[in-house]
Amino acid sequence: MSTETLPRTVERSLWANRLRSLLTQENIVTIIVSLIVGAAVILPLITLFISSFKVLDPLGWDTTWGFGNYVTLFTDRIIPKAFVNTLIISSGSTILATVLGVSLAWINARTNCPGRDYLEPYNLIPFFLSPFIGAIAWHNLGEPQTGLLNVWAREIFGFEGALMNIDTIWGVVWVTGIFFAPLVYLFVVGSLRRMDPSLEDSARTTGAGLVRTTMTVTLPLVMPGILSGAIIVFVTSAGEFGVPFKLSAPYGWETLTTQIFSKAVGDDANHFLGATMAMSLGIITVFLIWIQQRYIAPRSFTTVTGKGFRPNVLDLGQWRWVAFGYNLSFIFVAVILPIACLIIVSLHPVWTGKIVPEAMTFNNYVKTLFFWREDSIQAATNGIVNSLILAFGGSTIAMVMALVVSYMIHRTKGFGVRLLDFLSVVPIGFPGIVLAMGVLVTYIQTPIYATLWILMLAYITRFFPYGQRNISAIMMAISEELDQSSRMAGASWFTTLWRITIPLLKPGIFAGWILLFIIFLRELSISIILFSTGTETLSVGVYYLTNFENEPLTAALSMAQTVVLLIAIYVFRRVAGREALTA
Amino acid sequence: MDSETQSGTYLEVQNLVKWFGDDPAVDNISFGIPKGAFLTLLGPSGCGKTTTLMSIAGLHSIDSGRIRVGDVVYTSPKEGLFLPPEKRDIGMVFQSYAIWPHMTVTQNVAYPLEIRKVPQSEIDDRVADVLELVGLTDMAEKMATQLSGGQQQRASLARAIVAQPRLLLFDEPLSNLDLKLREQMRVELKRIQNEVGITSIYVTHDQSEALVMSDEIIVMSKGHIEQRGGPLEIYSRPVNEYVSNFIGVANLIKGRVTQVTEPGRGTVQITDHGKDIQVACNLGPGISEGSDAVLSVRPENVHAERENGDGASLEGEVLQAIFLGSHVDCRVQWGDFEWKVIAHPRAHLKAGEKVYLRLDPEHTLAVQP
Repeated sequence: MSTETLPRTVERSLWANRLRSLLTQENIVTIIVSLIVGAAVILPLITLFISSFKVLDPLGWDTTWGFGNYVTLFTDRIIPKAFVNTLIISSGSTILATVLGVSLAWINARTNCPGRDYLEPYNLIPFFLSPFIGAIAWHNLGEPQTGLLNVWAREIFGFEGALMNIDTIWGVVWVTGIFFAPLVYLFVVGSLRRMDPSLEDSARTTGAGLVRTTMTVTLPLVMPGILSGAIIVFVTSAGEFGVPFKLSAPYGWETLTTQIFSKAVGDDANHFLGATMAMSLGIITVFLIWIQQRYIAPRSFTTVTGKGFRPNVLDLGQWRWVAFGYNLSFIFVAVILPIACLIIVSLHPVWTGKIVPEAMTFNNYVKTLFFWREDSIQAATNGIVNSLILAFGGSTIAMVMALVVSYMIHRTKGFGVRLLDFLSVVPIGFPGIVLAMGVLVTYIQTPIYATLWILMLAYITRFFPYGQRNISAIMMAISEELDQSSRMAGASWFTTLWRITIPLLKPGIFAGWILLFIIFLRELSISIILFSTGTETLSVGVYYLTNFENEPLTAALSMAQTVVLLIAIYVFRRVAGREALTA
Repeated sequence: MDSETQSGTYLEVQNLVKWFGDDPAVDNISFGIPKGAFLTLLGPSGCGKTTTLMSIAGLHSIDSGRIRVGDVVYTSPKEGLFLPPEKRDIGMVFQSYAIWPHMTVTQNVAYPLEIRKVPQSEIDDRVADVLELVGLTDMAEKMATQLSGGQQQRASLARAIVAQPRLLLFDEPLSNLDLKLREQMRVELKRIQNEVGITSIYVTHDQSEALVMSDEIIVMSKGHIEQRGGPLEIYSRPVNEYVSNFIGVANLIKGRVTQVTEPGRGTVQITDHGKDIQVACNLGPGISEGSDAVLSVRPENVHAERENGDGASLEGEVLQAIFLGSHVDCRVQWGDFEWKVIAHPRAHLKAGEKVYLRLDPEHTLAVQP
């Protein structure tokens, strides 16, 4: 044996040993999931950024690099107006949603309004339903000629002309505002419920009246929650496509999202200009979400001390019936009226604004739902099948990812965890339509384009953070030692995950799954950019019907979607409980 | 080659180093223990005791050093070796007990055996045996969440020993129990460990727990080992001010060694209001003539008398004398220093009176500052 070979074999076994100790189940899964999350989140954003500097020449054949698209944002005939309209809609609906959300949360959490515990679930229903469907319903209620409310105003009260015209930018503000009010509600109600009553009592003892106490103590304490909710509503409204597409774009009020849509799939498609608009919208929303996450969300807990308080319940006296009426009115205009209207319209062969009981038929449901029949409308029936596939498959895959990502963030201390934590917040900052533009320009030349896979990829990328939050909340409450003791008992990382971690997280996993199921089932603004013939989703089916067919058919499919969503909401409430959504 | 019988050490930790960011949590410590021994790592929070335990468990990696048990190398970064925790064959009792709430007591305890693919009939027998050993036979089918803190503690211990692992690790297991239960569980834990005879490492910040349970104690601070020894040795012959302060109660007075009369004996000069006093005492390790030293005297070794006897007495004034039945807990002002003294009730000490303190050279120890 020569003296030289010995160190070399030692050296070799050293590296073999190192490699072996690195290739653990935990490390392999961690690396794979990190790469997937990294690629899924970063790739579309980088491609979007790069594409925004590609300028299409006037003939549409070739591209050059430059800032031309950004110049166009200012010089275009429509885009600057669309930008202003987006700001008006977002500001208006933020104000409306905040006023509604805060007042309803206060009534339900802190007053003796009758039946408040029974009313709360119904106050939250719009959160789960599709605002696009809301817009369709309100179109049928408030359209000047055929809108039910206008027809009734004329027939019953002899009103001249139209009571209202919903097909305006203010109609968009109205529908968006009432549908996003529950978002503000959820951000505020938690801190109202958990507030230390002595904070208010001590203000009352100094001689401050009720109104004064509310204005100077209660409201400032829940301010971070209100601001968080308001910012989220602003960002979500700015990224909302369905409502302006239905109510304002056809009548001359374009928004950034409707413009992005027409640049992405319209006749004058210019993906690069679309990417530029998406970039500018994305920069605004990311900036606002960053402010919310960095400065406002962390403060919301400092106002709430401890737990187990019974908050002061305010005796409203006779005014409690006013609060009750106010609460019922919200449920009436946000839930009952739209759904009733959809049912009525969907039962008529054609809709003229008149209820004709003898003409009523289920034919619209047959044509939009019975996919096995020859005369069914393909776009609608495809949508049902595809959306169910996407909702079941997508939320399952997303929850698996969310589980691994949460596990890594909370249970491993290794390299890259902070990056992963960051990556799982980033998608929240981008409206679906922006992310979808990024996915479109990234994958348009790959085989997954025009398949369900591209939709699933975009859905999961955009929404898995919601699932991740559901799991993380529970994981933070569970001691790490429960996992560690399983490893010490001799179980591998995977066995521990399967037998200990997942069973303990089951409620969070299931609640997150249903939440994603609901979100995926009604998704529109990603789907509208990425669908193609054959891969229509439920909401795209509704879009198709409202664009190319008639209102009764649209209403029928809308109702079908709404019924499935209502069932899912019921299951969600049973599983997740009352506090699951509150921030 | 059987290193176990060669060196007598079963668990061996060599030059363990673990950094957390820029701070060394454990800074180059080494120790070994024979098979069946009960070793306690004692120190305040942040001293590196839990980090050492986690390194042995494999719940985190180490930066350098080597840990082996018997012939199995657990971890050795230099050789590129890291045995994952589940392959180390260790039983561990956690601070929070970590009893899985979605399983019954039996399911919890059977888990390590199921993982080791032990036949079901044998699992049943061994689980029943170990539940009897810890006194939980009646609770076998209860859900873990229905147990009290002390019962969860026992279930956790049962789960740790059921597979008869090579090593048993305890991470402050009693710190969540109330005082009475804690004192009861100390004795119980020690009895069960004796019975199963598994080599154990116990981490705690509670010195009385360490004194009661351990064969050997390692006192740690700031990632270093300060002293290692049996409970009596640690208590009666601490090597430095830190250890004598941490273990039990001690009067600690700064001084200087003036004379070494014979190996291990000498005099230390202490100062009271400019007046130098020579005190005969034992010298700890590392103490030589002319070096700074700290006199360490346990309160029970200070003799307080109302009359001045012979030799070097310290004259002071009783600040406080609390009668506790078997003894009197006193505070005596001597210059700027306040002595803690345990006196016999017959000494009749009263607050405000003059008292003479006499130090027995046998029980007065000069240690390193």
